[in-house]
Amino acid sequence: MNEKEKLTRFEGEMLPLMNDAYNLARWLVQNEADARDMVQEAFLRAFKFFGGVRGETGRAWLLRIVRNVCYDHLRKRKVHSSEAELENIPDDSSPETDLELKSDIAAVRAALASLPEDFRTVLVLREMEELSYREISEITQVPIGTVMSRLARGRQQLAESLKQMREKDLV
Amino acid sequence: MTCAELHEQLDPFFDNELGLAEAQKIQQHLEQCPACEAEYAARLAVRQALQKPEVQFTPPSDLLDQIQAELLKQVRPAPQRKWSLPRFEFPPWLLPSLAGAAAGLVLWLGSNLFLTGNRSSNSLLATVTAQLVSDHMRSLLPDHLTDVVSTDQHTVKPWFAGKLSFSPPVYDLADHGFKLIGGRLDYLGNQEIAAVVFQHGRHFINLFVWPKNESAYPPSTLVQKEGFNIIGWEANGLTMCAITDAAPDTLKIFVELQKQSRMSAE
Repeated sequence: MNEKEKLTRFEGEMLPLMNDAYNLARWLVQNEADARDMVQEAFLRAFKFFGGVRGETGRAWLLRIVRNVCYDHLRKRKVHSSEAELENIPDDSSPETDLELKSDIAAVRAALASLPEDFRTVLVLREMEELSYREISEITQVPIGTVMSRLARGRQQLAESLKQMREKDLV
Repeated sequence: MTCAELHEQLDPFFDNELGLAEAQKIQQHLEQCPACEAEYAARLAVRQALQKPEVQFTPPSDLLDQIQAELLKQVRPAPQRKWSLPRFEFPPWLLPSLAGAAAGLVLWLGSNLFLTGNRSSNSLLATVTAQLVSDHMRSLLPDHLTDVVSTDQHTVKPWFAGKLSFSPPVYDLADHGFKLIGGRLDYLGNQEIAAVVFQHGRHFINLFVWPKNESAYPPSTLVQKEGFNIIGWEANGLTMCAITDAAPDTLKIFVELQKQSRMSAE
């Protein structure tokens, strides 16, 4: 396979997965500019190793690379700034006529954004990307039992903070 | 099955990761135990919240183009046409001589243009076209494409205002796949002209603009030269000429969008 054929195949197989890659990156690094960089870096890394033998689907493979690129970045960011500088998650959802729905969406985003990284990662992979425990385990490089317990705790925390937000709204 | 035992398996049950026999036991327990049923309902609410499409993020519209352009830099295909080389393909040692050759060509063309009243219109047209091609080629050399880099038309347009006696129209057509990436001053003969630069996938488009001038008009129908597609038109006393290595149909769409943007702006 020459480089041009490799590029054509890569573009056909991998670029359609950009929405998945971006959503994961955006939830991990929590801002648009970094998410763009992460996705680009991940695609370049993936291209470099594309064509080798893989024991997983293309999507799980790409998301593993995205996750690794993001975690590398987050580690560096933590070294540089002692306090976590979580930017407010801007609500860039499509325009909604229903204001209630819009505030609901902002609340869900804020709740997920405030979860610890490891819980947020498994929730995005499971609920948004709908991956299996095995795939999530490969992507996050932890045993399936750990995936399971992170999901359980992440769900409980998320349910709890959503409940609190709703109660606050009612007061 | 106790509630504690169920708790251990509630998430894999919810995620369809259990075998049939275990799943049935859980199902039976949930039907009889309101407390565990509430736990299950809470997970369902979380799932429904997270699966709303508006909660998830979609990539910015230009990210795909950007990644494709970066990927293309990873492969170095054999050159197809002498002058259609994308800008990253020039080996560094060749750059000074290429730039010199292009500059020389411009000087030579410039000295002929605007000075030759008795040239036939055909050869005048050919001269203008050749010079715009060389402007375009030179712009593809590293770091020659833009003097002002911005995807914002409200940045690019004022930048020209301080430098030219006329005001080129600058429309961002990113929604249509033609991303504004900046502007540059260039020359046609001795005259300073505006170059508004767009990107379409991995192709660049130079939109040259200058005040209407009897001795410098571009081809009014699409022509091909040196592997580039070129077409010109006039609008409000300005002459416009777009040039690119993108496909002829792509260029026609671009020109149509430019004309429409102008009409809707008026």
